[in-house]
Amino acid sequence: MTSNPTPINLKMLLESQTLKRAPFPVPMGWYFVDYSENLKAGELRNVQLFDQEWVLFRSEDGSKVGVTDPYCPHLGAHIGHGGKVCGDNVRCPFHHWEYDVDGMCKAIPYAKVMPPIVKKQAILRTLPTVEKYGMIWSWFHPLCEAPHFELPYIPEMEDKTGYTGSRRGSWSANTCIQEIAENGVDVAHLKFLHNAPGIPPVSASYDGNRMHLDIGNGYIVGEMYGPGLNVMRFNQKDPVTEKVITATMISYSVPVTHDTTQMNMSFRHVDYAEGTPELHFTKKQIDHMIGAAEGEESAGFESVDFIVWNNKRYRPNPLLCDGDGPIFPFRNWFKRFYAEVDHSKI
Amino acid sequence: MAEVRVTDRKGGESTISADSGRPLMEVLRDANFDLQGTCGGAMSCGTCHVYIKPEWNDKLPAKSEDEQMMLEAIGDLVEVRPNSRLSCQVVLDDSMAGIEVEIAPEV
Repeated sequence: MTSNPTPINLKMLLESQTLKRAPFPVPMGWYFVDYSENLKAGELRNVQLFDQEWVLFRSEDGSKVGVTDPYCPHLGAHIGHGGKVCGDNVRCPFHHWEYDVDGMCKAIPYAKVMPPIVKKQAILRTLPTVEKYGMIWSWFHPLCEAPHFELPYIPEMEDKTGYTGSRRGSWSANTCIQEIAENGVDVAHLKFLHNAPGIPPVSASYDGNRMHLDIGNGYIVGEMYGPGLNVMRFNQKDPVTEKVITATMISYSVPVTHDTTQMNMSFRHVDYAEGTPELHFTKKQIDHMIGAAEGEESAGFESVDFIVWNNKRYRPNPLLCDGDGPIFPFRNWFKRFYAEVDHSKI
Repeated sequence: MAEVRVTDRKGGESTISADSGRPLMEVLRDANFDLQGTCGGAMSCGTCHVYIKPEWNDKLPAKSEDEQMMLEAIGDLVEVRPNSRLSCQVVLDDSMAGIEVEIAPEV
């Protein structure tokens, strides 16, 4: 006598074959482009961001920064190869058409009549760009919409007194920002990948473009402002002084392509006096965040997260169990940063 | 097939034949009236400017905002009249047979 075998869920076993590493377009948001000090007055160069090349330039007086599409709307010359900054504008090498940081055409040196569209709107795509935190930031939206939100005030970066810290880092990850940021709500991995002593409690709440994250009842408190800026404050009691000391990790990741990301971070802390136990402790906190703290069992992101990020595939239908963090609410929130683009309607 | 009666910039008159469905600009450009049509119909250059006899007005498509803006823009350099048109915006059809067109001065 034979019995029918129990039917198996083939999707469970075979879905892996159709998975992609990062099946998402570049999300809209404010993104770090470079540190302000790296772009001199009158300088122009090409940068790779958001799945394409852009021309980054600074006006001759130093006050304005532009990020433009490379290809001149006139006859398609690459402005970043042979172009030049002229006053406030960038000039195409081919026929010397000039554009300001908003993409408005400011000069066509030989035309008797400017094409009417030039008065109505930008003709060269540019990204809204500001300088804040000592950095250049651009707003990316796939359909050129104006910024949906502003960059926040970050005291650790902007308050001239009270904070210090010059440590910065930059890492390339072979995946998209959504996958990187998802680790924030995935608290179970903290115990198993990072060797944390336990799985901390987590709460995540969402308010428009912001996510508020609390891991371990105030141990790590994070604010994410769209996909490109994440401020995480690590609050720990120093066993020597019995004081709660806060160190801050400002993380500013930028999509280089839709599935590769440059992760950038600045680490800041209260400007404690040299030689104090507080300074000693807060420096150790920062070592711990990155992954190099001496004499500690647990590991920061540098040593353990990349092996997962760089090799995983996104599972749209993950098999989650109790104890996993609030993954699905995070994914639902993150959807707001993907805009539908129908090229047949442009 | 539509006939187009053309007055050139020197006042000379001639009649040319043209296929329906073609923009008037292309017909005039290809017939060597020294009309440039540089931008190819994008309404960004103003080099296909013509005057069309007002009698033909009701056979013509209405001017778009973009055509109006381009005509205004060339107004500082050449005479723009109520019957000024960008000939790239006039697609010939059989009802326009015999249309009377004067090539406007160069921008």
